Amino acid sequence: MDFEFTSDQIELRANARAVLEAACPAAVVRAVYEATGDGTALWSRLVQLDWPGLTIPEEHGGMGLGMVELAIVVEELGRAVAPTPVLATLTQLVPLLQAAGSPRLLDEIAAGACTGTLALAEDGGWHHQPMQTTARRDGHAWVLNGVKSHVLDGTTADWLAVVAQGNDGVGAFLVPAAAVVATAVVVMDPTLPIATVTLNDVTVGGDDVLLEPGDPAAALAIERALQTSVTALACSTVASCRRLFEITLDYAKQREQFGRPIGSFQALKHRLADLYLSVERAASLAWFAALTIAEDDDRRAIAVAMAKAAAGECQRLVVRDALQLHGGIGFTWEHDLHFLLKRAKAGDALLGTAAYHRAHLAELLGLAQPA
Amino acid sequence: MKLRFDDEVETFRAELLAWLAINRPSAAEMAAEPSVSTGHAPPWARRWTRTMFDAGWLVPGWPPERGGRNAGPVESLVYIEELAKARVPRTTNVQGLGIVVPSIIDYGTDAQIRDYAMPILRGEATACLGMSEPNAGSDLASLTTRAVLDGDHWVINGQKVWTSGANYADFCFLFCRTDPHAPKHQGISIIIVPMDTPGVTVRPLPEIIHPHQPDLNEVFLTDVTVPAHHLVGELNNGWAMANGSLAHERAMVWVNAVMGLEESLTTLLAEAPALLDRLTPFERTLAVDQIVQVAIDTQAARCLGYRGFAKFARGAGAPEQALMKLYASEARQRVALVAAEIQGADALAAGGVANDGHHAVDEPQGTWLEQYFHSFANTISAGASEIQRNIIAERILGLPRN
Repeated sequence: MDFEFTSDQIELRANARAVLEAACPAAVVRAVYEATGDGTALWSRLVQLDWPGLTIPEEHGGMGLGMVELAIVVEELGRAVAPTPVLATLTQLVPLLQAAGSPRLLDEIAAGACTGTLALAEDGGWHHQPMQTTARRDGHAWVLNGVKSHVLDGTTADWLAVVAQGNDGVGAFLVPAAAVVATAVVVMDPTLPIATVTLNDVTVGGDDVLLEPGDPAAALAIERALQTSVTALACSTVASCRRLFEITLDYAKQREQFGRPIGSFQALKHRLADLYLSVERAASLAWFAALTIAEDDDRRAIAVAMAKAAAGECQRLVVRDALQLHGGIGFTWEHDLHFLLKRAKAGDALLGTAAYHRAHLAELLGLAQPA
Repeated sequence: MKLRFDDEVETFRAELLAWLAINRPSAAEMAAEPSVSTGHAPPWARRWTRTMFDAGWLVPGWPPERGGRNAGPVESLVYIEELAKARVPRTTNVQGLGIVVPSIIDYGTDAQIRDYAMPILRGEATACLGMSEPNAGSDLASLTTRAVLDGDHWVINGQKVWTSGANYADFCFLFCRTDPHAPKHQGISIIIVPMDTPGVTVRPLPEIIHPHQPDLNEVFLTDVTVPAHHLVGELNNGWAMANGSLAHERAMVWVNAVMGLEESLTTLLAEAPALLDRLTPFERTLAVDQIVQVAIDTQAARCLGYRGFAKFARGAGAPEQALMKLYASEARQRVALVAAEIQGADALAAGGVANDGHHAVDEPQGTWLEQYFHSFANTISAGASEIQRNIIAERILGLPRN
C-alpha cells in the first residue's frame, strides 16, 4: 500500500486550501451561523474554479478526477467548515448518478447550474429494510410516497435522489425540489443544513428513474454510491478533527498558567499525544477507504465502515478534549472553536454513527447473531 | 496513492519468495533446535543467517559485502513483511542484527567491523545491548555503570538489567559513563565487552510467562577489563549514537508488530463463533463490539504504518515511529485482553506452548491470557508507552519539555 500522494494531488490540496482560506475565512462561517450571510459567494467562487465538475467525466464538462481527489477536496471543506453544496451534490447525488450509469444532470452540475442531494434516511436511520417510502408503478411512471429524514441541503438542493421501496426491491428516483415538501430542521450546525422531505404522490418517469425497483443491480448500486458518500463524510469529519486538534495544540503552547505554558504539563501532553494518534488513526482508515473505492477493491465495504466508525470515535475524543482544554474561552459564542466542534459532531451523526457502522462491521465480519 | 506497490517492487517480492521457497529452514528443522533466548543462535539459525548473508538477503538495503543487495526502503519493507508471513525469523539475535551491527558499521573502526559486526552478519556470533540499569530505565541517561581508562584498557564497574539475550550472547554493546562530571547525556560512551571477560556475571531473570526459558538478565560488571580500542565511536558521544542506532530498526519494526496483531485477529475471528455461542444475548452484543473494535484497530495499525512509512521513505525523522510503537503495542494488548475476557473462566487454563524454534523473537504465543501478560513486554520495553507519549508530545507536536 502506497500512502504517498502524487505531486498533482499535493498541488490540488494546496490549491484547495488556498482557495478556501481566501473565500471561506471564519467570518463567512460566522455569518452563516448568525444568519447575516450565506454561502452564495463562496459557491460562486467554487463554480468559477470548476469544483462542481471535479469527479464528473470530461465529456460532461467535468475534470474526470477520482475518489482520492474528491477526498482531498472534501477534507479541505471540512477543515474550513465550508457552507457549500459540495458535500450533498458531489458526494451524495453524483455518486448515485454514476452508480446508476445515468448521464442525467451531469452537464448541469459540472457547469454549476444545479445542485442536488440524496434522500435516503427515514426516521433518523440509514438501515430501514424495507424502506417506508414507497414506489408504486403507474404505467410507465412511478409514484413515490413517504417521508425522508436528515436530507442534507434538503431545502436548497435543486434535485433529490430519492431511494424508495417497490414491490420487488429498492429503486432510486430523481425528483425536482418543486415536487416535494421540504421542511428545514433547526440545527446546531447551519453549515450542514438538514431537512425533512415529504413525498405525496410524486410521479417520476423516463430518465429520472435512475434505478428501477426489481432491477437486480439496484441495491448494489445504491450501496456502492453510499460507500462514496460515507467515506467522503468520514474524510470531512477527520479533517475538522485535525483542525480542532491543531488549534488546541497551539492554544496549549500559548496559554500560560502557574508561570508556564499549560502544554508543558504531562497531563496535557499525554492527552494531546492521544488526540494526535486518534486523528492519524482515523485519517489512515479514511484514506484506505478512499483507495478501496478508487481502485474498486473488494475490501471496500469493510474499509468504508471502519473509516466512518473511526471518524466517529475520533470526533468523540477530539471534540471533548478540544473544548475541555480551551477552558472557558472555547465555551464562548464569539470564539470560532464551536464551528468545528459542531461540524465534527454532525459528521458522526449523519450517514450512520460510529456505533451504527460497528454494528454493520459485525455483520461484514461474520459476527452477527445467527438468525 | 495506491493499494499496490510498483511493478519493480512486486518483481523484488517474487524473487524473494522464490528464493525463500528453496532456501528457508523448515518448521521441523527450527523446532528441533529451538532458540531459547534472543542471544541464542542454535545451529539452524547460524546456518540460516549465513545462507541469507551469502545470497544478499540478510539486510537487503545494504551492499552485497554486508549481506545485502542495495534495495530501496520499500523493498526492505516488503522483505520484512514476507519473512514474517513465511514465519521465518531473519535472525534469532534481533538486537545484534537490528541495532548493534548497524551502530558498529556507522560509528566503529574497520577492526571493530571485522571482529564484531561481520561475525554477527555471518551467523558466527551474537550480541546483547547493555543499556538499562536498576536506576536508569525510562531515564536511561542516568546510567551509572562506570568505565575508567587506565593506560591502554578500560576498567568497568556497574550493573545492567533487562539485558535481553545476555545469557547466551558472545559480546555486549555496553553503555557506560565515561565522564561523571559532564551533563548526564554528554558523559556516556559505548564499549564492546566480550561476555567471557573475567568479572562479567550474568543472572537470568525468569519472566512471568515462560519462566523456563528466560531472555532477560541482570549483568554484573566487577573490575571488568577490556582493551582501550573497544570504545565504539567518539568518547562521550554514546547518547547521540544510541538515538541514531535505535532509529535504524524503528522505521521497520512496526511491520512485525502489525503482523502479530493481524495474526491475533485472524485467530480470534476463527474462534469467535464457538466463544460467542456460549454467551447470553446481551453478553454477546458487548463481546461482538469489542471484537469489531479490535478489527478496526488492526486495519488502522497497518494503514498507520504505511502512512508513517511513506513519510520515512521521503526522509522524515524517527519520532514518527513513536506513534506506531505506541499504537501497535497497545493494540496488541487490547486484542489479547478482549479475547481472554470473552473466554471467561476458560482463560485461566495455562498454555504450555511448545517452542517452535524461534519463540524468543516472535509473538503471539500461548493462551490469550498469557499473550496479554506477555504483551507488556512491548508496552514497557524500548521506551514505555508513557515515554512514547512524551516523545510524541515533545518531538512531533513541539510541546515544551517542562
